[in-house]
This record gives sequence, structure tokens and C-alpha cells, in this order.
Amino acid sequence: MTDRWSVEQVMAVAPSPSTFAAAEPLADPGRWTGLGADRRSAWGRCRGSGREPYETLVDHVGVGWRCSCPSRKLPCKHAIALLLLWSREAVPDATPPPAVAEWAARRAGRSDGASPPDTPVSPVSPDPAASPASDHASDPDRRSDPDHASDPDRTDPAGPSDHEHERARDERVARMREGLVELDRWLEDRMRTGLADPSLAHYATWDELAARLVDARAGALANRVRRLAGLVGASPDWHDRVLAELGVLHLVAQAGLRVPDLPGDLADAVAATTGWQVRQADVLAGVPETDHWVVAGRSDTREDRIEVRRVWLWGRASGRWAMVLSFAAYRQSLDASLEVGTAVHADLFRYPGGSLRALVGERRDEPERPAAPDPLEVVAACDAVGRAVAAEPWLERLAVTVLAAPTVADGRWVLTDHSGSLPLVGERGTLGALLAASLGETVPITVEWTPHGVMPLTIHLPDRALDVGPRADTSFVAAG
Amino acid sequence: MNGSVSSRQAAETAGGMPVSELDAHWQELLTVALLGTDRRDPPSPLVGPVGDVVTDAVRHEPSARMLADVATCAAVRRAAFLPGPPADRLAPPAHDPRPICPPEAVTTWRDLTDHWPVLVDEWVLTVLHRGWRLPADVTVALLADSGRDPVRRARVVRAAGPVAEWVLDHLPSLRTGGVAGGGSGGGRRVDRATPSDAEVLSLPPLVVPPDLEPLLAADALTFSRRLLPGFHEGRFGASHRPVLVHLFARCRVEVLPVAAEGLAAVDPSSPSSGLAHVLADLVRARTRLHTTLA
Repeated sequence: MTDRWSVEQVMAVAPSPSTFAAAEPLADPGRWTGLGADRRSAWGRCRGSGREPYETLVDHVGVGWRCSCPSRKLPCKHAIALLLLWSREAVPDATPPPAVAEWAARRAGRSDGASPPDTPVSPVSPDPAASPASDHASDPDRRSDPDHASDPDRTDPAGPSDHEHERARDERVARMREGLVELDRWLEDRMRTGLADPSLAHYATWDELAARLVDARAGALANRVRRLAGLVGASPDWHDRVLAELGVLHLVAQAGLRVPDLPGDLADAVAATTGWQVRQADVLAGVPETDHWVVAGRSDTREDRIEVRRVWLWGRASGRWAMVLSFAAYRQSLDASLEVGTAVHADLFRYPGGSLRALVGERRDEPERPAAPDPLEVVAACDAVGRAVAAEPWLERLAVTVLAAPTVADGRWVLTDHSGSLPLVGERGTLGALLAASLGETVPITVEWTPHGVMPLTIHLPDRALDVGPRADTSFVAAG
Repeated sequence: MNGSVSSRQAAETAGGMPVSELDAHWQELLTVALLGTDRRDPPSPLVGPVGDVVTDAVRHEPSARMLADVATCAAVRRAAFLPGPPADRLAPPAHDPRPICPPEAVTTWRDLTDHWPVLVDEWVLTVLHRGWRLPADVTVALLADSGRDPVRRARVVRAAGPVAEWVLDHLPSLRTGGVAGGGSGGGRRVDRATPSDAEVLSLPPLVVPPDLEPLLAADALTFSRRLLPGFHEGRFGASHRPVLVHLFARCRVEVLPVAAEGLAAVDPSSPSSGLAHVLADLVRARTRLHTTLA
């Protein structure tokens, strides 16, 4: 079976957040009849406002959609809802009806030059519902490999399907470049009109830019812009924070425009930061890092309508950090398979560019507990963070474990030891747990660095780990 | 422990220049950024490596030069993540000799909080009566949950020991937590500051109809004879659930094994079987409450 898309991938193809939001209530099997899916496509009839149900088809391999609804949005909310259902494994496997098989075969013939084995071949004919541009420019299942991402002008000899693939990739690169140029122009406008410009207080100002970045397939930057919108007016020093983040966005935009000229790993890191996605299958095909991975901390944050869980892993032998992400839309559950305070002997596959982000492959033993990373002094932790941020100034979060005590300095909560102190951020419950667990003494604490301070995630006690990181709202996500 | 790090000398420079100079330049940039380059010219770039990067940006519009300067300074300032000076430690709370309750009990508490909050008061009281101490995370969560209910708060403070008052002293916002919670039906929304020992050390009453009240103190045989036939005969439905939850949450602990057995034996075809299933879960949770704190 083809790799199922993640919710994040479905979200990435939605033409706007509002379309995704409109699709969520429709992603209910009770609203559909005739649902089915095979290795190439998914189909079904959705009851809508019209008298007849809308006939919806999606091609989850070649990435295309068709729907009988009158919406001019591509893909429409019905197609997004069908993709969500399929991604949640709520669409039963079935043999496609003849019309679906024909549509899928036409698409397969056009994009690959061959049909998948389970679809009948039929004469290729034009399909007005799926233009080549819409087929390929939004192609999350054809995520370019990192070499391609860093080398859009590559001109290897290629057969027809390679040529098609390259053309799609070039189109996508061109779209992303347009998006980055537009982002940079927008940033310059902010410098010109100033942060006191009242329009910055309107979410629409940011959301429009984010929507254009989504169109340009720079989804990661779009999310970053939406997060930035949330900083406006949120604290007394918001101007400082917003200005710094605008500067970092400029760096990313400039780096993104120069990807072909950057060294390989840096190019991959920039590509990932702009939103160039990589298929999980490609990541899992890489060279694994086998280690005893200490599950050091967990942090949940809501991004738009998706709950994001970051689980930080620390390699006992390598001393390297990695981060595993999981996503949940409303009523979905987040991955709870990595328990904080345990160590798993497992293969880990990093995303291109030596990324922090990784996937866990084969697990070799039962988890050991309790387990904790080797803690650093405060000054050493700063050094580690500084080195990482110097290499990738657009990093937003990074985990580090320090041996320090919570206390108050100049009216602000900090973690301190003999070498220095780190400013703490976090909710009162987190600080309270940190205080109560440490009793004001030094304890090993895994924190998540952010540009605004460090957030406690885990307090490593001798016999157990206290997971105090921000937790997803249980009224939003389902139990794991 | 890794102690080999860059020296404090390195901590005083960033991007090849004094941090104080970089900070001062950032403040100038921030001032211009507030007004916008349409109203005020951006400051001259710094002299040195940071300024060289900006100068190399070869763009001449004030807004473009400003943006390049902001980006460079932001990157250098973030990378120069420097520790503040060491700070004085907090005075520790008084010692509490009681052992912290076992991890299995904490797991049970989490389960109760999620599924049977009506039993949380009993869990805290059991911790207290059996000589355990609340762990840190539970203490803080219960302090936050107890909100403006002084009885529950006093119970949590006793169960947590000196550390609770110590935390409250340092985080006064926890004293005025959100809405009182932690239990259902038995919440005593009182505003008196100092509850009595009797209030703190006893379970809050739950609403039970007068004709069922004797069952609260009944032995296992009486309890099962009086109540279980109603499930077998299908006389109990969803409307009885609140009262029965209260009854099973406050009946004698000795009754629980018989109640669990009786509820499990209800015929699945009985109209009351769904309710029996739910109450059996409550009985199991309450049993775990006591076994994990034994």
C-alpha cells in the first residue's frame, strides 16, 4: 500500500487554512457513501448542500483531485476531507469503480508513463479537472530528494518520466522562489512602515502572507509567519521579539534563494526550513544512527489547527540530539510511543542535512527506565546552544540538559549554577513542579531553548522522570 | 559532566565585537523599526565583522539596508547565547520525613483525574491518612485545581507537607488558581480562610437520596442484596447514573470486591448492563486507589 499521508501533508495541499477548517467536519465517514481506496486513489460521495451528493476523487500518488461540487478552490473541501479520512485509515480498501479506474489510469499514464499494477490501462485523454501544474506543483508524494532540493538546475540525462519529474520539480522550485522573493519584499515593507503600523495588529495582515507562502509550497515558513503573528502585542517587549524574528525570516528567504550555491548540508537545512518536504520513505532509506536514545523531553504546541508534539532524544553513545515530531488534528491522538525518562535501543533516521528532525526505525529492546541525558553546566549549555544557532540561525527550539537549580534573579525565574544562569519561561504549573521537585537544589533538567528563554520539559529524579513540558489540550486531541 | 567550554572571555564578545556594543546597536535598530525607515534613517552599520556582512548586502534602499542589519544582528545575538551571572539559591523548605507516594499511586491519580474526578478527594485523603507525601507534580496540579476551595487546598497542603507552602510563597499566582475542581458533586465552594480539621480530614458528602443513604454504611451482603438485583432486572438506566456513581464512590471500601463481582455478572442482555459496565470501572478505579496506596 502507498504510504499514507500525514495530517500535515494534507494540510499542506489545502489552498487555505479556512478550506482545511471547512473540511474537518466533512471528514466523518457518516457523511459519505461509496467510500473506497486503492493503491493510487480514494473516492466517495459526500452529502453537501446540493440535491445530489458530490462525487469526489483523489489521486494520492500522483496528487490530484476531482470533485463535482461547484467550488473553484482546488482542492476543494470535499477532496481535503476525503484525504483526511484516508490518512486516518477510515476509507476501506476496495476495487475502484470503472470511472475512478479510468481517471486514475489517465493520470497514471500521463504522470508516470505507466499505470500502477492494480489499475487498468485506458487511452490517455485530456483531463480538464487536473492540469499538469496542479498535479505536480503540489506534489507531497514526490518530495524531491535533498540533492534535487539543493540543485534545481540539475541537467542529468533522463528518460521521459525523469524529465517529467524534473519539470515538476523545477516548477515547484520556481514557485517557491517567487514566494521567497515576495516574503522578502513584504519584510522590507515592514521596515519601511515600521512596527507601530496598526495593520500589524490585524491577524489578516499575517495570514495573507502565510497563505501566499502556502501557495508557494513554503508551508514551514507559512507556519512561522503565523506564529510570529501571535507575538504581536503578547508581551511588553513584543517589538523586540518581532523585529528579531523578521530578521531571521529575511535570512531564511535570502538563504532559500541561494540554495543552489550553498554547501550540501546547509542547503538541505535551508530547504527544510523553507518547507521543502521529504518523503518518510526516503528518510527511512537513509543510513541509521543506532544508539540507546534517551527520551529526554516532550513538548506539545498548537499550530493553527494542528497539535504538534516534539519528542527530544539524546544518543547515549553519540551525545547527539534528535527530535521526533508527531501531529494531530482535532480528535486525533498524538504519538505516545516514546515515554519520557526511558531509553530505547533503536535505529534513528535523520532528515537530510544532519537535521535534528528524525524518524525512529527498528526498536531493538524494551525501553530501559529511568534514563536521563548527561547534564551540562549552565555555561556549557549556552555554548552548545550558541554553536547550534550559529550554524542554523533560524532554529527556533533546541533541547539541552542542565544540572541547575531554579531561583529568582532580578525578579525573574532562572536556572542557576556556579557558572551562570539561564532565563526560564513556562507556565506557573511547570515552574511550580520544578520548584517542588527540586526543593531549590540542583537537579538535572532537560529544557527546550527558545529565543525568549528556556522552558523546562523534564526533571530527572533518581528514580523517575517528571514530564512537565507543555501538554496538548485534552479537549482537542484524543488520548494516545 | 561536560565542563570544557568556551571561556568567560568568549562570553563577552559576539561576532567579534563587544556584546554591549551589539546590544546598543540593536536598540538603535529597534527605535528605527518602530517608526519605520520612511520616517527615520537606519543607523550606520557597526564597524567590524557584523557591519561587514551588512555592507556586503549591496542594497541601497534604507529599508533593505535596515532589514540586512536587523537580520545580521538578530543572528549574532541569538548565537551569542550567554549565561547571566550566577544567582543566589532559594532557601529550601523544611524537611518532611514522610515518603513520597509510589509511582503506581500517581498513575492511579492521573487515571482518576481523567476519568473519575469524583474519587480524587478520597485519593488525597488516603495519601494523608496512610502517611505518604504528595510528589512534586501532583502537588502543583492539585494546588492549581483546588482553586478557591480552602478545604481542598488545605488538604493538599497537608498531604504535600512544607513544600506546598514553600511553593505557594514563591509562586503566589498558584494561591489564586482557577475554578475549584478535583471532584464532582461534592465541591464545597466556601470562602472561609481557615477550614476546620474535621472538614479537611473527612470526605465531602455526595448527594444520595434518603432511601439509599443507609447503603453508604451497609456491609457487603446488604449492599449487594439491595442494589444488584436492580441491574439484573434492568431497572436502572442512564437517569440513575449520577446517584449510583455517588453511592459507589462513597460506599464502604469492604463492599468493593462484592460490588465488582456483582456488576460483572450482570447479563449483557439486561438494559442496565451498560450502566453496570461503567460502574464496574469506577469500582475498579476505587479499588486501585486503595491498593496502590496500601
